[in-house]
Amino acid sequence: MAPPELVTRSAADPDVVALLTDVFGRYREERPSRAAAVNLDRDLWRRLDDLGLTRLTAPESSGGSGASWLEAAALLSIAAGAAAPVPLAEHDVLGAWLLDVAGLPHDGALRTVCRPDAEGVAAGVPWGRCAAAVVALWQEEPGRWRVADVPATRLAVEDRCNVAGEPCDTVRFDRADLAAGVAVPPAVAEEFHLRGALARTAQVVGGLERAVEVVLAHAGERTQFGRPIGRFQAVQHLVADVAAETALARAATDAAVARAVVSGWADPATLFAVGVAKSCVGHASSVVVRGAHQVVGAIGTTLEHELHTLTRPILARRGEFGSVREWDETLTRLAASAGRDGLWTLVTTGRAAEEASA
Amino acid sequence: MSLVPAAGAEGPALTALRAEVRRFLADQLDAGAFVPHVDTWLTGWDVAFTRALADRGWLGMVIPKEYGGQGRTFLERFVVTEELLAAGAPVAAHWIAERQIGPSLLKYGTEEQKHAFLPGISRGEIFFGIGMSEPDSGSDLASVRTRAERVDGGWRLTGTKVWTSGAHHADAFFALARSAPLDPARRHDGLSQFIVDLHAPEVHIRPIVSMGGDHHFNEVHLDGVFIPDDRVLGTVGDGWRQVTSELGYERSGPERFLSTYRLLAAAASAMGEGRLPHDAGLGRHVARLAVLRHMSFAVSMALEEHAEADTAAALVKVLGTIGEGDIADYVDTLTGGGLPDDEELTRLLRAAVLQRPGFTLRGGTNEVLRGVVARGLGLR
Repeated sequence: MAPPELVTRSAADPDVVALLTDVFGRYREERPSRAAAVNLDRDLWRRLDDLGLTRLTAPESSGGSGASWLEAAALLSIAAGAAAPVPLAEHDVLGAWLLDVAGLPHDGALRTVCRPDAEGVAAGVPWGRCAAAVVALWQEEPGRWRVADVPATRLAVEDRCNVAGEPCDTVRFDRADLAAGVAVPPAVAEEFHLRGALARTAQVVGGLERAVEVVLAHAGERTQFGRPIGRFQAVQHLVADVAAETALARAATDAAVARAVVSGWADPATLFAVGVAKSCVGHASSVVVRGAHQVVGAIGTTLEHELHTLTRPILARRGEFGSVREWDETLTRLAASAGRDGLWTLVTTGRAAEEASA
Repeated sequence: MSLVPAAGAEGPALTALRAEVRRFLADQLDAGAFVPHVDTWLTGWDVAFTRALADRGWLGMVIPKEYGGQGRTFLERFVVTEELLAAGAPVAAHWIAERQIGPSLLKYGTEEQKHAFLPGISRGEIFFGIGMSEPDSGSDLASVRTRAERVDGGWRLTGTKVWTSGAHHADAFFALARSAPLDPARRHDGLSQFIVDLHAPEVHIRPIVSMGGDHHFNEVHLDGVFIPDDRVLGTVGDGWRQVTSELGYERSGPERFLSTYRLLAAAASAMGEGRLPHDAGLGRHVARLAVLRHMSFAVSMALEEHAEADTAAALVKVLGTIGEGDIADYVDTLTGGGLPDDEELTRLLRAAVLQRPGFTLRGGTNEVLRGVVARGLGLR
């Protein structure tokens, strides 16, 4: 193995990955029948809670498991590959983190997160109706942010759902509850956005990877013209492109997670790496969703088939915490500002030339 | 299931090497030693520049010191080649030797062959080509018809090789030839590799001029050229395995996604200076490039550790060559064929658009490579 002065490696704890693979592999086998509308699976949530997986990244001192983002990203990917209807991203890496930076207590009950507008209304709140309390990150006025942990009893929740059929509700706060929140620096809002973007990226890539498995199984089993369709070169090429884009999305996500772990969220290199991941994963999703449905054929478009439990969340999540286009725009601004002489430094370090040499 | 091994991050020694190469390139640019261009690993033949690299110890990088090389790792070579390509430096003269001739000689060559060629390669004094394709053998390499006949003390080669880049400048090439009659049931058998002296009188080299008028490719006609036994590479009859076992080196290096990098950089400047409208496509291409680097580096790590990486290499080459071609097309559609006030961008764009069709052909077409990926996925 190459020495560390040549290569430094970041990988999730293999024991954690083995546990996750086992838990979610079994969930996929035993899961309740599929429905168009997705509800929180409270049994699964309790099981994950018992295993310490709902507070994976929180410090052990505050009741968490003290794992890093390497393990968190593995959890999010593997859970998404099993289409597990549980708010892991919202509860732990976003909600529990916000409470922690605000110095607010966490009773362990299910949380989701949102950024309500000036009027105190937040649209598209994932799992809003399921949460015991909603952690709000609120911009009271430009540059002044507060974090408030508001119990469900003080919220008006209007049920909505996203394209995946998951709860994605409109939540109305009493502005007084938001104004009573703890003041936090603006950097918290920036980190929240990056954490959310990276969490969504990890989830989407987990869905892409499982979609490749579904595609391969189908291409090997489905027989037409007397042979498995995977024997046809046209199908092979379609599958190769699906697999290649998925590999690109995985590499982008791993690089962003490693960067966040090594450099922290405030480093501009982390912004660049997360943007690269959002862009690559988002565009890969276009190819994979299209190609996977093409290979699996009409059966893949039915409610009974597994494929839509992956492709619908992929489409729902790739545009959250910044649309694919918005992140492309961000990268464009960085690249244009770097220009001819700074672009290579940006590509290799994620930083502007003057930041890289500092 | 993971088709591409996990990448690591560059450690401090590699970052330091990168900075050293960057300083060297800045000095060379200041001295006017080269003008940055696209696709320079095919088109930029510059012996003086190659020798300057040799002087710095950046040639023969993975060749052991006992054979005149630098005894460094594939990862260090990755960093050096990546910096050279990103600078648009002229690296064609040594490219083939550095990338695949050196490693092949190390693996299959005799001691005498290693001593005869590796020191010259490492000093930038011996230049190599590669003789695989033929007029009737492109993707179907096993169909090569160049004949090797057994004669006293060696072999006599007759046939025609095409698309031999740089043959008109090079000293020698590895020719893949049929040394035993074709057995249709075992068509990969009976092939052998020979080290051919391109200066021999029975070797005739004719230019194949590319559509833009440039001369990089050649047709090499072997008119019964004698190859002594000591210029057979590896084992007679084992040519197919020897050739295909080296494809990982050839397929996934930085040249498979950086061929149009200077054009992307020029477009970034034009956008930053307001000479091009702000367009999200730039960010999208930068993102893909950034990730292709990680994937290509991961394959280099696998090669360094002697792990199997054929599928990963094929996959990276498919993605990379499409991406570098898309950059050419992107800037073309964005600018309308160039910018009147930007001579550099226009020059790079014209070349990139004309070189682009070759990106997804050379070194294994994308159609063949998708088949390799499909095999890796268990579909074939």
